[in-house]
Amino acid sequence: MSDVAVEPVASGALLAAGAAPRKRRRFRLREVTPMGFLMLVALIYLFIMVTFVLATLRSQASLLSQGAFGPLSLGRLRFDWRQLRGFSDGIYFTWLRNSAYIAFGGAIIAVLVALPAGYALAMLHFRGRRVLLFLTILTMVMPNTVLVIPLFLEVSAVHQVDILWPVAVIMGFYPFGTYLSFVHYRTTLPYELLEAGRIDGVSEMGLFWRVATPVAKQAVALVFFFAFVADWTNYFLPLVMLPTSAAQTVSVGLQELITSSQLFNASAAAGLNVQLYMPELAFAAVLQMLPVLAVFVGAQRYLQRGAMLGSVKG
Amino acid sequence: MPAGPTKRPRRKAAVISGRQGRGGLVLLAPYVLLLLVVGIVPAGYAIYQSFLARSGSGFGGISAYHDVVTEFQFVGSLENIGLVMAVWLPFMIIGVVGLALLLHGRRSRLVGGLRFIYYLPGALAGMGNFVLWLFLLDPVDSPIRPLLSWLGYTTLDQTAEPAHLPVIFALMLFFQGAGTWILIIYGGLNGISDEVQEAAIVDGATGWQLTRRIKLPLIRPWIAYLILLNIAYATQLFLEPQVLGLATEGTISPQYTPNQLSYTFAFQIFDVPAAAALSVMLLLVSLVIGVIITTRTGLFSDR
Repeated sequence: MSDVAVEPVASGALLAAGAAPRKRRRFRLREVTPMGFLMLVALIYLFIMVTFVLATLRSQASLLSQGAFGPLSLGRLRFDWRQLRGFSDGIYFTWLRNSAYIAFGGAIIAVLVALPAGYALAMLHFRGRRVLLFLTILTMVMPNTVLVIPLFLEVSAVHQVDILWPVAVIMGFYPFGTYLSFVHYRTTLPYELLEAGRIDGVSEMGLFWRVATPVAKQAVALVFFFAFVADWTNYFLPLVMLPTSAAQTVSVGLQELITSSQLFNASAAAGLNVQLYMPELAFAAVLQMLPVLAVFVGAQRYLQRGAMLGSVKG
Repeated sequence: MPAGPTKRPRRKAAVISGRQGRGGLVLLAPYVLLLLVVGIVPAGYAIYQSFLARSGSGFGGISAYHDVVTEFQFVGSLENIGLVMAVWLPFMIIGVVGLALLLHGRRSRLVGGLRFIYYLPGALAGMGNFVLWLFLLDPVDSPIRPLLSWLGYTTLDQTAEPAHLPVIFALMLFFQGAGTWILIIYGGLNGISDEVQEAAIVDGATGWQLTRRIKLPLIRPWIAYLILLNIAYATQLFLEPQVLGLATEGTISPQYTPNQLSYTFAFQIFDVPAAAALSVMLLLVSLVIGVIITTRTGLFSDR
């Protein structure tokens, strides 16, 4: 990757300085190489994703014999659907429901908790503010897997294992959301506005309600999106907290589908009435992605700015 | 971290801090409560458990820590993490920074679309991404079967043999995570002022010089953040080795990473103090990395 980008700015300036046509052509060539590389990477990405999604429309026999691309049939989707319904009395759909419960629950709690906290950290003056902000950033940059086993020990000490709501509450603690709200209010809300409100005798809660919530849309969208995706795709926490199959989320359930598949565990699969192959597994994986994609599309216009806002991974 | 909110006269702050303190208390109460119940208490409880005796009752001193460190899988899991990092970190740094630099400043209308394509796999993070890679890696029905058979692999156990795992995990994690990181580095590049770049060009800097002397030094905090956070993630690897181990029926150790070992202590051996002790050690590693990111990179200043 040593042939690094020649900036349009740079090329523009040099061309304006009266570069010879010969030089100009060389420049264009150097311009094409990085773009070609970027396109190549994108094509590899697309190839991987498209062949995977198309696998849901193909038969296992076609995958075996025809390689990356083969005949597609929409009827295949109905077959995949029936197979999933048949597997363990349709437990897949119970998993989807459980995932929806904890991901919506977790994301809604995250928004309700993070928004006022981020506002207070950004706009109010109180003792301990800096310590709390430090703790927020610190917990935000630590992988959320570090506390899974300790959380399990805590939750099992109070006998709440295999219950969904504690998982949603745990997911509701979302320091990245607090930090996003903090940055949001820091950059959008003028301090003078609050001062004016105070002089008019509005209470602090009243100020939050009347001044901060009307401009919260962007922060709400971002916190909800990042929290939802993180909760929906979380694997380690539900694996540990919800050991019973019927209480599992779809993330962990997919693992059960893999280990019940003819492809990866023939001896276990032999006893099952529904045989799962790659098209069914791909279908199960793609179907559970749809809620994430829906939320992604819904929040898309807020995302670009959001990534810049926090400059942080969710 | 620099001092608190700017342009807030001290005298005034002192006068109104009581009122704002009370308001803040109400607004912050749910968050602080969760921070305690979901963060501080479980960490404290794990520390407490880690000093219990294996029998589950009474003080055991550091015996649980001793059990973990002398467990033969422990050193092996650290070695595995080291190997994964040796492949993953350079791949991630060069790939992410390289792609972000190539994208940055390009005026083509394709740039937005490219960024979107790189970002897309992030939406199927976790198990979705894993099933996709299982599809890719299993020579039986893989769309890249010609490549795999050219390399000499005809079964999943051959593609995913233990020696290949660092490369496989690096590819999996790059595919699902790089897009987000590209956005972050790209954001950092956008923060570089036009004047600085134009000045360099006027001084005769070529594209390569502009990148090396201006852009790379100025986005160093973001690169440091990328490296540190990915080290933290590497020490926490769990899903990929765990499920790949289940799918390959026994060629991959179920204690490939420290987190898997901790899981084994808790749910297979039922040695809770050892599980707690290992969790506490891993927590400390992440804590140190977190403190470095928070205090040293300067990315999270209180402006």
